[in-house]
Amino acid sequence: MKTQQTPCRMTSFLLFPVGTSLKICYIIFMEKITTNTLNFEDHFQLPSSKLYGILKKGLSKGGDFSEIFLEYRINHSINMEENIIKDTGESIAQGLGIRVICGEKTGYGFTNDLSFKKIKDTAITAGSLAAGSPPKNIPVPRSSPLNHNFYPVKRPLHNESWKEKIALVKRAYQKARNFHPQIKKVKVTLGHMTQYITVMNSEGLIRSEVRPLTSLRCVAIAEKNEKRQAGFSGGGGRVGREYFQNQLTPEDIAGEAAQEALLLLEGLNPPAGEMPVILGPGHSGVLIHEAVGHLLEADFNRKKTSIFWNKMDQKVGNEQVTIYDDPTLPHFRGSYNMDDEGTLPQKTLLIHQGKLTGWLQDKLSARLMNQPLTGHGRRQDYTCIPIPRMSNTYLGPGNYSPEDIIKSVSKGFYAQKFQGGQVEDSGKFTFSVNSGYLIENGRLTAPIKQATLIGSNIDILKKVEMVGNDLKFSYQTGTCGKEGQEIPVTDGCPTLKIARMTVGGRK
Amino acid sequence: MKAPYSTPRLCETAERMVQYGKKKGADEIEVSVVDSKDYEVNTRHEDIENLTQANSRFAAVKVIKGQKTAHVTSSDLSSSTLQTLVKNAVQRALFSQPDPCSGLPSLSRKKVNISSLQLFDPSLARLDSQKKISLALNTEKIALSDPRITNSHGASFETREITSALANSNGFSQQYSETFSSLSLGLQAGEVDNKVEGGHSSTQRFFHNLETPEELAKKAVHKTVRQLNSYKITTQNVPVVFEPRMTSWLLGFLFNCVSGISVYRRASFLLDKLNQKIGGDNLFVYDDGLLPGKLGTEPFDSEGVPTQKTPVLEKGILKNYLTNTYAGKKLHLPSTGNAMGNHVGPHNFYLLPGKTPPHQITASLDPGFILTRTMGHGLNPITGDISRGAQGLWVEKGEVVYPVSEVTIYGNLGEILKDIDTIGNDLDFWNIFAGPSIKIKNLTVAGKEN
Repeated sequence: MKTQQTPCRMTSFLLFPVGTSLKICYIIFMEKITTNTLNFEDHFQLPSSKLYGILKKGLSKGGDFSEIFLEYRINHSINMEENIIKDTGESIAQGLGIRVICGEKTGYGFTNDLSFKKIKDTAITAGSLAAGSPPKNIPVPRSSPLNHNFYPVKRPLHNESWKEKIALVKRAYQKARNFHPQIKKVKVTLGHMTQYITVMNSEGLIRSEVRPLTSLRCVAIAEKNEKRQAGFSGGGGRVGREYFQNQLTPEDIAGEAAQEALLLLEGLNPPAGEMPVILGPGHSGVLIHEAVGHLLEADFNRKKTSIFWNKMDQKVGNEQVTIYDDPTLPHFRGSYNMDDEGTLPQKTLLIHQGKLTGWLQDKLSARLMNQPLTGHGRRQDYTCIPIPRMSNTYLGPGNYSPEDIIKSVSKGFYAQKFQGGQVEDSGKFTFSVNSGYLIENGRLTAPIKQATLIGSNIDILKKVEMVGNDLKFSYQTGTCGKEGQEIPVTDGCPTLKIARMTVGGRK
Repeated sequence: MKAPYSTPRLCETAERMVQYGKKKGADEIEVSVVDSKDYEVNTRHEDIENLTQANSRFAAVKVIKGQKTAHVTSSDLSSSTLQTLVKNAVQRALFSQPDPCSGLPSLSRKKVNISSLQLFDPSLARLDSQKKISLALNTEKIALSDPRITNSHGASFETREITSALANSNGFSQQYSETFSSLSLGLQAGEVDNKVEGGHSSTQRFFHNLETPEELAKKAVHKTVRQLNSYKITTQNVPVVFEPRMTSWLLGFLFNCVSGISVYRRASFLLDKLNQKIGGDNLFVYDDGLLPGKLGTEPFDSEGVPTQKTPVLEKGILKNYLTNTYAGKKLHLPSTGNAMGNHVGPHNFYLLPGKTPPHQITASLDPGFILTRTMGHGLNPITGDISRGAQGLWVEKGEVVYPVSEVTIYGNLGEILKDIDTIGNDLDFWNIFAGPSIKIKNLTVAGKEN
């Protein structure tokens, strides 16, 4: 979220400016594992008695806490463009991360060589910072199985044949391609992953879970004379094959992408300056994510870098504003049965009727701030230290109908879809709008392409004038980056009216 | 204590998998194996926050059978897993459809002398952990001694040592090692609800080229405090100066638009513009993979094609799209050696400097806006449209009069390329996208109502 921050581990040395999509992403799936659990002890020949020894090894120079994070992840992907299935992919990531905490210091090591010797070396590396004497008693970890599942899947995609999955991709492709003669290029990708994780720590916990994650994405390019525009849409979540029958069909996704491309062909340049802004439902959730969610992550408040750090229980926004982060929403992309530290997740009230009520906690910040855990310690994978993160963040519904909200504006800007947003700890944020409309005399008129909204978070929260009754969520394809770690998230909100906001356009 | 450095024989693993894939029926196969040793320390308020150390490996495979392609990646390098994945890929390739443009590059006779590229700093292995930690601690300490700095995101020092091997069924098999080190610092200045953020970073292949803690802290402080007590200006069209690090993102965006993949997908506004004049006579942009010691330098790309210096813009004329083998075939052009995984990636992509010192550019503004920082996405390669959040400095009569924040800039890359009227002499290869200060005749800066 910060632009001048610790560069991330995997890409720091290339430091690509924002806006270049050069990072190689492996979007993915699974096939060979057909049962719904993975027994690490058997799979890697790592009996828990040996891992217990590793936890102790990590604390051999002292320290308060040691932890092993084991991960096995398999991804499959299918890519279709230019009328052919261009390629398919299979990826496997496996590895183990060991963390040792001593006071406020964290030592971390990871390895993808799971030989016992390498694991032991990793534990020694992780524990190298600690000082003092080793703790006397470390409880033998006992398995604490989960007795809930927020994403039961009927037909896991890893059980479906490649043929079946390719058929989904082709359906989306054909729909977008045939949508309109002006649609000239289409790209559809299907990715599916299964992530198996086990967390074991010196507090006596062993807990495992399996997380499916699916996404179907479509980009359509429309051309008219010399003009070209791209539309995007996507769907998925922690879902199986049934989702594409009951929830959102490949055709729904493709049609929306094509429609957006066509609409943008007619799009005008945005107006420039301060004006009333209406944020459309669903996609505008990125505003909640950036302007509020990030700044309530406990680490930024423990370090007093967030503008919110001294504002707990204070009024920071209009009374209509109530905001939650809920990792338990069924089948949502940002959901999990346990967080990446093994903590059970909780729906967390962040802002209640304009008053600040909660932080998003991981174990380290919760301990240092003397606050309860909320189950928001997440990490990208075994190479990363867990940090406080969002899951599914949304602003709760209000009382106004979207029609009444639009009617209340005589001249303004309606933001419909976003490319993304960015915030810094001081509360200054930016949202990149992909498509929107002019509002004239209470009606949506000309379509608008590519605009930027900018502001300062507390200022905007206070200027929320009307909250709609139409809560929706953004696409199930969102990824949030913080300190170089990318994780799946969603966000949502109803139609919102902001009294005044700066729209970046052309004069 | 560090074990003496030894080069892992990754090529052999890669070659074995190539042989295995051919045996299992692949027409063509390409295998890359990467070994990475990472060290990262984050310090904050005079203490260590995180220390991460690891050594990890990663393999990627591309299989082609009957012009049909399948990909594999794995962090499990056991031969049983790799063999299963390659076997799966040969079978799975059948589900793809024949693509006449698929295929690996033929073996080039040209060979780049790896040692002349200065990619590897042997002194890095001798740098002990204590020294690395104190670099980060010192950097932050120097910055915090400035009373205007009110908080810190911390400092970090990182090193990476990477060995990359590539083998393919056309007989290519090579590996090379490279190093990076990086020092960075993030700061806050100002009081509780009026804080500003800033920072600075330095990344080099050779440790001795890195900015010292003193230099880095000084720049980080300067870049933070200069934004204190900012104003929001009224919406207007003005000349805008990009500082060198801002020119970098503009070049990154240009790269996206000249990437052969964007072009064959018709996702670039520079489609069908080869050998046409798209910018001013003063614009010379190159992608150069052979500049010794620079961050984007490499002997060959991810397909084994030797790297080169490719003119992108000369006198404002678009000379080349940057391609990998696939995009090249799509566009009936040779590969420029820019393959990066399945993508096209830059080497050192830079704008040739001019003669004007940056202070003279500032002196020429009345009024004008110096762009120091942008936020948000807002770059559309299909249209060239740019719309981003911005911070900067307001200039009148050639002097900076106050900082500006919470504004946006709006423009179009196609127009900007024609509107760069001054190019600074301050090129610095701090990043793979590098350029000097530039002055653009006119952009919309949106802020308050008039």
